[in-house]
Amino acid sequence: MPKEKVVVDFRFREKLNKITGGKHHNYCYQCSACVAVCPAARFTDEFNPRIILLKALLGMEEALIGEDSPIWLCTNCYSCYERCPQDVRPIEVIIALKNLAVERETAPANLAKLSENIAETGMSVTVSSAVNRRRQELGLPPLKTIPLEELKKILEEDEAEEPSSKKRKGEP
Amino acid sequence: MMRLIPFWGCMMPLKYPQMELAIRKTLPNLGIELVDVDGFTCCPDPIYFKARNKIKWLTVAARNLAVAEETGIDIITMCSGCISTLKEAQYLLAEDPDLMAQINRRLKRINREYKGKVKVKHAVVMMRDDLGIEAIEKSVKRPLEDIKVAIHYGCHLLKPSQIMRVDDADYPSILDDFVTAIGAIPLDHDEKLLCCGKGCMDDELPLEMTESIFASIEASGADCMGLICPTCFSSFDMGQIMIARQKGKTYNIPVIYIFQLLGLAQGLSAEDIGLHTHRVKADKVLEKIV
Ligand code: SF4
Ligand code: SF4
Repeated sequence: MPKEKVVVDFRFREKLNKITGGKHHNYCYQCSACVAVCPAARFTDEFNPRIILLKALLGMEEALIGEDSPIWLCTNCYSCYERCPQDVRPIEVIIALKNLAVERETAPANLAKLSENIAETGMSVTVSSAVNRRRQELGLPPLKTIPLEELKKILEEDEAEEPSSKKRKGEP
Repeated sequence: MMRLIPFWGCMMPLKYPQMELAIRKTLPNLGIELVDVDGFTCCPDPIYFKARNKIKWLTVAARNLAVAEETGIDIITMCSGCISTLKEAQYLLAEDPDLMAQINRRLKRINREYKGKVKVKHAVVMMRDDLGIEAIEKSVKRPLEDIKVAIHYGCHLLKPSQIMRVDDADYPSILDDFVTAIGAIPLDHDEKLLCCGKGCMDDELPLEMTESIFASIEASGADCMGLICPTCFSSFDMGQIMIARQKGKTYNIPVIYIFQLLGLAQGLSAEDIGLHTHRVKADKVLEKIV
């Protein structure tokens, strides 16, 4: 029987390398230590951090950052980071993959809902009059003003540094 | 008096102000002066905002750190999410000078710079390391005798220990020691270190995880749950209502923030520390306190 051909998409791996924390995917030697401590893997067979790392090593873009990717099932618990003997920091690789999915617009719709507040209001939770009333009832001081102007400026796009277009040293 | 800047974040001041209240009422009794400063934003959150763009996440975190740095006073945080973001940002920026330069280029737009000098600690770590457990003991007026507390450490206070440097992540004791210092009994249970599941973007998984934790706490015979993280709090307080609704099972385990427990031990009333705002009422704990 002819051996199955393994195809590695190095282009995708390069892309992942350029996101903060993405480069560490290269260190994975597939030991499964992360799986043993992963709560998401314990509760569903759909999620397995070693397999995510294997797919990253193979550069399987579609499986990792296409629609319905399992990466969103990660609970962000950091157990894998704690346990991994290779300093892969699997959760950080997963978050780097999420960044790529956001660029590709394949992230779940509620991600935007859960995070857009910060860029718009400086807070993750909506500041409402009900909030102020509850604080007053408890005798807490009024909320501080949020420096929105500063926030807007530092969040403005910077073409030169956006993740997948960011050039590494020595590249043309 | 030790002067420290409280970094409140969003969850506490906006969603669970009773937690802020408990901090403001208990820390001064330990000789801590809280110095509120202007200019902070959300830390930003280490799950959703970070998932969108790590560079922007680091930038907002570095800005918050720079704001504190300018005052020359160190920061304490009371939220596991805030401590996770601020500590990891510090770690990544210290580890990678190129990244530090990239982030500071963004901060330069607003004439700020993060230099890496400000110290950031979780309040419980500051209490253990800088005040000492004895100081907590001394502030107690009414030891919480016979109250059995199932501690929930949550994830971000401890992990990754390479960055957090708080405790042994597999056998932590910091919160057990805290609960012992206020006269209560910390109880072990099978799921003590399981994640609450909140960061998982699925409809069912988080509920299954919290339910495992409730079942384990129920079996342990604890009077209440003692926790440190506002995100975990939402999983467990509101979470119990959801489980009752969706699965028809009522646990009735009061969920109490560790500084609210300290407040009770310092002689404050349930109202003083906002316990009445919780969905699951703490009556069975309060009855035991005389
Ligand atoms: S990520 Fe780390 S722990 Fe997981 S399989 Fe790879 S080397 Fe092992
Ligand atoms: S952070 Fe995610 S991948 Fe890592 S152990 Fe936790 S759930 Fe699993």
